[in-house]
Amino acid sequence: MITNETLIKVENLQKKFGETEVLKGINIEIKRGEVIVIIGPSGCGKSTFLRTLNLLEQPTGGSILFEGTDITDPKTNINIHRQKIGMVFQQFNLFPHMTVLKNMTIAPTKLLKMSKSEAEETAMKLLEKVGLADRANSYPSQLSGGQKQRVAIVRALTMQPDVMLFDEPTSALDPEMVGEVLEVMKSLAQDGMTMAIVTHEMGFAKEVADKIIFIDQGVIMEEGTPEEIFSNPKCPRLKDFLSKVL
Amino acid sequence: MNFLTFTEWLAGAPEWFEGFPKWIQQFVFQIYQTFIYADRWKLFADGLQITFIVTIGALFLGIIIGLLIAIIRTSHDLSSKKPNFILRVFNTISNIYLTIIRGTPMMVQLLIMGFVIMVPETKFDTILCGIITLGINSGAYVAEIARSGIMSIDKGQMEAGRSLGFSYVSTMWHFIIPQAIKNILPALGNEMITLLKDTSLVSVIALRDVTKQAQNIVSITYQAYVPYISLAIIYLILVVGLTKLLGIFERRLRNSDH
Repeated sequence: MITNETLIKVENLQKKFGETEVLKGINIEIKRGEVIVIIGPSGCGKSTFLRTLNLLEQPTGGSILFEGTDITDPKTNINIHRQKIGMVFQQFNLFPHMTVLKNMTIAPTKLLKMSKSEAEETAMKLLEKVGLADRANSYPSQLSGGQKQRVAIVRALTMQPDVMLFDEPTSALDPEMVGEVLEVMKSLAQDGMTMAIVTHEMGFAKEVADKIIFIDQGVIMEEGTPEEIFSNPKCPRLKDFLSKVL
Repeated sequence: MNFLTFTEWLAGAPEWFEGFPKWIQQFVFQIYQTFIYADRWKLFADGLQITFIVTIGALFLGIIIGLLIAIIRTSHDLSSKKPNFILRVFNTISNIYLTIIRGTPMMVQLLIMGFVIMVPETKFDTILCGIITLGINSGAYVAEIARSGIMSIDKGQMEAGRSLGFSYVSTMWHFIIPQAIKNILPALGNEMITLLKDTSLVSVIALRDVTKQAQNIVSITYQAYVPYISLAIIYLILVVGLTKLLGIFERRLRNSDH
């Protein structure tokens, strides 16, 4: 599914929180259709890196080219580009005062000027795909964690994004609900969606990723196919990390 | 003729009333004097009208000012990078405003607005002066209530809105403020009740609200008992009514929490 077209190009990306350097110059290229999984010990900057990709964290240096536009340029209207970058959070972040359907239709109706009926039709189709069509009129508080996260994924999909970012999407879930969310992500990957995923689910990473990136101490220590990373890790820190998580 | 003595009144009363004990006669006489004689209930009605107009006007002004200040202050405090110059200026102005308004008595603010700054001459101007002073005062308290409401919303909500492509302002409008209002409704209700009662101070700028009218009646009849007790009961009824209304509103908003 990977094409040759570069969707995101990150150059020498840096992020400082006060004096603390979290990202110390990250370079990476994400091709359209590629699934990238980012792993690393906690506090290594992997979540921060993912969040800089749609500027939820403002980088302090370097550049991010998204579909050819430098989104770190202050003159760029980031809101337009964010419409094309879907994001799924660890804590779901559904809007609790809106029904599932309203959660999914508000963005396309307000931002893409889609008609209400059209937006609802698209939303229902997506809900059907993830097996939640019967919960369309429920409020988020009535759903289980796994259901919430599936809604969060399809909510992001209503904007027809070109890339989906997942920030530890299964970390806040009860173990028995992890599977259902990973299933949805897997089918999304099979449909050819470009994805960047921060996760601790190594089995999932092995199965779905086209490329795995190991970040530690704010830099990419190693990158490669799942095969290379898991069967033949080179850098000692990665070996150490894998011995702890596998 | 504005003044009526007890003996005059008793002479005009029906005969069967003369058998009643003295204190009941006195009490009924006072009620008669306060409300019925010379159509004095109309004074209360006029006063209530002023009280309502000032309360509602100040309420709206206060909520608008309060929300604006709250948004400025939270945007300033929560922004990840160094806030820009305009925001910093607005934030400083807001802080000065909050300090001055919360640091001086409402009565003094009314005196200054009424006799130094606005100096209203017509009745309309005086009402406007009352609304503006009370609105500015209430705004300072609403601002802090609204700020706590906005801060109470998980920052993930802002991130979710922004990540979908909503601007900062529309994320506030569609996602943060509706949830914040639900959270602050009890505190906001409290502020509304305070404001309603504080309108009794506008008499110092010569606005004839319901308190001023009760005072006027006392100054004519020299009997304070019934006018002032009635005044207290009037405020009590208004506050209880307002509390009920807010309760209904709150229940309606809570429908989404199951």
